[in-house]
Amino acid sequence: MIRLLKCEYKKTRGRWIFVMALVITAAQIAWGLYGDYDSEFIIKNGWMSFLYQLPLVNAIFLPLLSIIVSSRLCDIEHKGAMMKQLAVVADRWRIYDAKLIYGLAIVLFCNILSWSASVICGYAVGFEGDVPIRLYLIYLLFTAVPTIAVYIFQHTLSLLFKNQAVTFFTGIIGAFCGLFSMFLPQLPFLRRMFIWGYYGVLQFVGMFGWTKETRYASAYFDVMDFNWIFFGVLILICIMTYIIGKLLFCRKEV
Amino acid sequence: MLLKLLKAERMKLKRSPVWLAFLIMPVIPALLGTLNYLNNLDLLKSEWYSMWTQHTLFTCYFFLPVMIGVYCAYIMRLEHSNHNWNKTLTMPVSRAEVFISKMLTVSFMVFVSEIWIGVLFVVSGKIVGIASAPPYTDIAVWCIFGTLGGIVIAAVQLFLSIYVKSFALPVGIAFAGGLSGLLFLAKNLGHIWPYSLMAYGMNSNAPQELMESGYGTFVAVCVVYIAAVTVMGSMVMNKKDM
Repeated sequence: MIRLLKCEYKKTRGRWIFVMALVITAAQIAWGLYGDYDSEFIIKNGWMSFLYQLPLVNAIFLPLLSIIVSSRLCDIEHKGAMMKQLAVVADRWRIYDAKLIYGLAIVLFCNILSWSASVICGYAVGFEGDVPIRLYLIYLLFTAVPTIAVYIFQHTLSLLFKNQAVTFFTGIIGAFCGLFSMFLPQLPFLRRMFIWGYYGVLQFVGMFGWTKETRYASAYFDVMDFNWIFFGVLILICIMTYIIGKLLFCRKEV
Repeated sequence: MLLKLLKAERMKLKRSPVWLAFLIMPVIPALLGTLNYLNNLDLLKSEWYSMWTQHTLFTCYFFLPVMIGVYCAYIMRLEHSNHNWNKTLTMPVSRAEVFISKMLTVSFMVFVSEIWIGVLFVVSGKIVGIASAPPYTDIAVWCIFGTLGGIVIAAVQLFLSIYVKSFALPVGIAFAGGLSGLLFLAKNLGHIWPYSLMAYGMNSNAPQELMESGYGTFVAVCVVYIAAVTVMGSMVMNKKDM
């Protein structure tokens, strides 16, 4: 496995995959953290406001990051029928795993980077109080697991289809469903239907008391229930996608 | 000759299901945008105009530019793979015509998407029972100008895809372009930035406001962009070793 991972590293050298992932993460950080931090409401509730806002930004950027990284890694093999040669010298399930581990490492690194940036930004702006580290660690977990689920799905598609347009379109349409479902909290089943919607399912901070008339005067953030049941469901989805994806790839004519 | 090239493009795309995405994608905002509209009736009071924003907001900024980016990358990739450029460019056609034929192929798909968005919008409005008559003229104008803005994005993306053989980078650029389009629109510069022209043309932000500002400059900017990128694309294809 270590050899295959080294192999992945060598194949991707000079292909700017990591740089591209960093650029998307930089855009995510800029988009998510750019804002007006002058108001007293934000300074007072800054840490919680990040936990409320950032899942939406994650639902836009992280699926796209997953599509691009997985497609770039798998497309190397589709070109020039390299998969045929690779399948001769290594077990297919090992190839599947090596590419998955390598791609996931890049995506999760970017995940941690954007998470760290939000914490650093909070201190730099001067939010009141210390970072609620427990909540932020749960937020990191609740961001990483949906990303893993989306990545496994994209990884499988990228390996199964030579035509990468299929994987791109599927991923984009899925991301669109996930993003839109987050705007319909009154229909919770919608976001639970798509793996891309789990950034919203696992969101645990809500804003209450905001009205058109009083606006932020009576608004406040509060921690809602942690949705551990659907966290478990998502873990199951990850495992199922992984097993099915691996089986399909191992049986596929390369 | 251009017609023959268009026919050839159509043949190359035959049995390729990528066009399906352009039909499926607008269904999502139509369903979810309508639901969102119904759930916020106390805030969204302008009936058809309010519902239009719900249907098109994310489509214009994030998803349609990316879809156009993928489609352009796919169309160019057909030539990049298996040294197909060699075969294409030995045909007795100018390289400008090759570029234009590809642009027209993508433009047709953008047009179909826009019409489909319009149809879904009217059907959704009728289903939810909006009392007033649909503003057909406005919808036609939004779809036509949205197409024009979309062609600008298609031209830029095709140009990028001449250089970049993979999907990822042009798609990343299309995504960044969509985001930047939002910023330019917020700064009231939506009518000059290529990636905000589609959202500007479709009036996805505030339908009534933008319509009053007129479309003369918008059309002129779109035509200039399309012409400039086509010339640049043709020049690059002439000089570059494809």
